[in-house]
Amino acid sequence: MTGLLAFGRFEVARLLRSWKFLGITVGFPVIFYMLFLSDHSPGKVIDGAVPWRVYLMVSMCSFGALVAALNAGGSRLSTERASGWARQVRVTPIPAWSYVATKMTASMLVVLPVLVLVEVVGIAFGDVRLDLSTWVELTALLWVTAVPFAVLGVFVGFTVNAETAYPVVTALMFVLGYFGGLFNPVRSMPQAMQTAARALPSFHHASLGLALLDGHGFGIQDALVLAAYSGVLSLAVLWKHRVEESRGLA
Amino acid sequence: MDPALRFNGVVRRYGTHVALDHLNLQVARGETVALLGPNGAGKSTTISLLLGLLRPHAGFVEVLGTSARQAVARGRVGAMLQTGSGSGLPPGVRVSSVLQLVRRLYRCPAPFDVTVERAGIEDLLDRSTHRLSGGQAQRVRFAVAIAGDPELVFLDEPTAAMDVDSQRSFWRMMRQFGEEGRTIVFATHHLQEADVIADRVVVINRGRVVANGPGATLKAAVATRQVRFVTDDPDEVVLDQMDGVTDVVVRGIGVTLNSLDADATVKALVRHGMDFSDLEVTGAGLEEAFLALTGRDPTLNEKREL
Repeated sequence: MTGLLAFGRFEVARLLRSWKFLGITVGFPVIFYMLFLSDHSPGKVIDGAVPWRVYLMVSMCSFGALVAALNAGGSRLSTERASGWARQVRVTPIPAWSYVATKMTASMLVVLPVLVLVEVVGIAFGDVRLDLSTWVELTALLWVTAVPFAVLGVFVGFTVNAETAYPVVTALMFVLGYFGGLFNPVRSMPQAMQTAARALPSFHHASLGLALLDGHGFGIQDALVLAAYSGVLSLAVLWKHRVEESRGLA
Repeated sequence: MDPALRFNGVVRRYGTHVALDHLNLQVARGETVALLGPNGAGKSTTISLLLGLLRPHAGFVEVLGTSARQAVARGRVGAMLQTGSGSGLPPGVRVSSVLQLVRRLYRCPAPFDVTVERAGIEDLLDRSTHRLSGGQAQRVRFAVAIAGDPELVFLDEPTAAMDVDSQRSFWRMMRQFGEEGRTIVFATHHLQEADVIADRVVVINRGRVVANGPGATLKAAVATRQVRFVTDDPDEVVLDQMDGVTDVVVRGIGVTLNSLDADATVKALVRHGMDFSDLEVTGAGLEEAFLALTGRDPTLNEKREL
């Protein structure tokens, strides 16, 4: 157990000490929030309930979670597998599953501060005002439901080689961000794109947060889609892990 | 006491390719054993099985009296694996942090300073892992392999791509570690490495053990001596009948005889009244022994094995 904790601490410390990681995960959502704030008049109400500055804050929370989780897993995992470190960990006493589990946990842990940071920016620059209990609920909800992003990151790290992982992660970030309606309200998109958005986890993640704020409460449907994504991607990671293990690679 | 490891009739295939073909192998505690063979012979597969990274398709593998996985899970085994072009270390981390982490993964690790000294990495502790030369990274990986104070260490081509000086100092480290009563099993296609460090050399080819014994015995097992001399008009048929001779090579007036017993051969030459000069008797190197055993030149094949 101490071994696992040490490994987890090591992973999180590495993430927080990496300027590249911090720059991308903190920079993107914060800068985008400032940039997009003026896209619509900040007070303009989106989807009949939430002002743009609030809508955008929730969207950027989702985007931040996505970026943090994908970058924590994705290319870093891929690089470590290529360097042989992943196999080296495999021949230490910690259990076989702990490498993946630690990666996943570390991804989730770094999502939380990113959410809080975007919220602070929302308060400071978007003049977002919520009850303390709503803040807590919103943060907890967006954090817990970021699981599919963390699993996706690990899946990419497992399937894509070190050279292509970085571009793949970047592409995923922007595809999921843009088509998931995180940069622009989905309602303002053409019908086909709206349908596409509804198939993406990024859309449902933000949608969960917005439903909480506009008084719709807990979006069961959104949660189910996110759970389905987590399940399918976890199975894919497990399968990939199995295949590698049978070849003596994992 | 149980042996350090036991391999009994182990078969491992990759698709239709048979990597290990009923391999038998036993290593006693405290022994330093070299697995010598050309690339693709099955050395890395053997080590992967010994670490529980692979399972045998037939036969059984026992490590320190238990299963390979158990031995690893209890922290009784350390390993330095082949990493191809990678460093085998997490990128962008200080060497000392990596070593501290690895120590925490074991229940009873060796003291930090002891590991640092054993691996000779005092000067690398503050270095970032992506600023290490190939040889330095190998030393750090050796430190990682022994950080848990394991009873048994596996090293898969530990000095591959090292320059001669680094190789020498690495061999010193390995020998010292072995002298502390630990069992070391290392794979190599470097003949000198096997000869210099190992108590015993196990030659593997095409997934089978083709020879097994101390380096000196291996050499003795094959046509071990070469008798060279110059003579007018050498007669191959006559030379081939001299005592101990296994092979005759005649080039002009130069003769090379491979002999199992050089003394007997030279006496026979004298008895026969052969008029020879420039007599020279040399021991055939492990290189020739290896070639004779496997029929392959280990230095020719640069293809990496699985």
